Amino acid sequence: MVTVYVPSQLRKYCRGATRFPIAADTVQSALGVLEREHAALYRNLCDETGALRGHLNVFVNADHMRDLDGIDTTLAPGDEVTIVPAVSGG
Amino acid sequence: MADRVIVTIGTRKGVFVAEGARPRRRFELRGPFGPGIPVYATLIDTRGAPRIYASSCSPFFGMKLLRSNNLGKSFTETKSAPAFPKDDGRALANIWSLEAGKNRREILCGVEPASLFRSRDNGNSWAMVPGISNHEHARKWEPGGGGLCLHTIVRDGQRWHLAISTGGHYLSEDGGETFQAANTGVGAGFAPDPYPEFGQCVHKIARHDDAPGRLYMQNHGGWTHWSGPGGPRPDIGVLRSDDYGRSWRSIARGLPSDFGFPIVVHPQDADTVYVVPLEPETRTCPGGAPAVWRSENGGGSWRRLAQGFPRKRSYFTVLRDAMDIDRARTPALYMGTTTGQLWIGREGGEQWDCLFDSLPPIHNVKVAIA
Repeated sequence: MVTVYVPSQLRKYCRGATRFPIAADTVQSALGVLEREHAALYRNLCDETGALRGHLNVFVNADHMRDLDGIDTTLAPGDEVTIVPAVSGG
Repeated sequence: MADRVIVTIGTRKGVFVAEGARPRRRFELRGPFGPGIPVYATLIDTRGAPRIYASSCSPFFGMKLLRSNNLGKSFTETKSAPAFPKDDGRALANIWSLEAGKNRREILCGVEPASLFRSRDNGNSWAMVPGISNHEHARKWEPGGGGLCLHTIVRDGQRWHLAISTGGHYLSEDGGETFQAANTGVGAGFAPDPYPEFGQCVHKIARHDDAPGRLYMQNHGGWTHWSGPGGPRPDIGVLRSDDYGRSWRSIARGLPSDFGFPIVVHPQDADTVYVVPLEPETRTCPGGAPAVWRSENGGGSWRRLAQGFPRKRSYFTVLRDAMDIDRARTPALYMGTTTGQLWIGREGGEQWDCLFDSLPPIHNVKVAIA
């Protein structure tokens, strides 16, 4: 199991949970689990084509997934997957 | 008897709702709802118990639709928002228009990239309208400055008029099943061919029930000094049709500029129409002096209405959906600016006063007496 951390803005889409465990071996498969089991949350993370929204960052433990293997980054039991909205806007 | 005037104000930072009594002397402001998130479309649906809808399109978390059943005292998200089918390949970038559909629970929604969606259950579920969304022209439309948006939906029974920037005007005569480009006389100042079949940057279309067949259009004007192929293209910005939108002719003569965004028709007089001319280069008030212009003869001549506006050093923009008019016997106009001011034009626009002067940039203003 890995742990997904949810940003404060999106906790209302998963009954207030700050984090929850899921079974996934890549970031891609983690998103697939969210699509099936937490559809309301998933729609905030990915658009209709399945692409991760442009202003969201996904960290695996302390590393941004773009510095690893992107959406194909592998996950090991005990990993922490953190969703962080970009610090941007005006 | 309905006695409250409700004004929805869609801004870059959420939606506000202003409420006032019929005399329209004072308004109470509520909001922002969906705080921090841009709102480009609102709808005050007065069929049955009034409902207010507002788009809420976050660049971070995607598209939502908000609904209020208590005249804007609170909003909740509908169960879903428009979304393209997974195998379509397009992804929703913004919601640009919301209009009441044929039946009481039906809502139409124009989006970016330019497509149309329909809900038959007050916005809780949505289906794409394929006649325009998958039109043979759809993949050839280009985005305008605001994006590739379907921003105007005008219903007249089985006849539907859509405006797309930049796609032009599309007409359906079978209740939205099929659409044809209907742009004869609508200029495209930015293209080598000044009168293409489609691809015009139409900014807004308005009509009145008392004048069947007549439509008014604010098109993308400002091409008087064009020096490219085909030469100058004056007066293509403000147009009128008298044949249900099949052909259009200029009514821009007499205006200080044929560039602008909104166009609004008087609720009791189909001959009275309002525009907000802007300088085409800066898209701000000509000479720094704001004014709304009114024609009382269907565009034959125009009169400047500026009583109450600053006389100089004022450079705001009024966007395509940021002006509306109420349906009182002597109506008032409501106009929002990109500098966050909400103005009321009492006595049909004769006297202007600023109701709220420090809101976020305003995209959208709608009014209803509920």
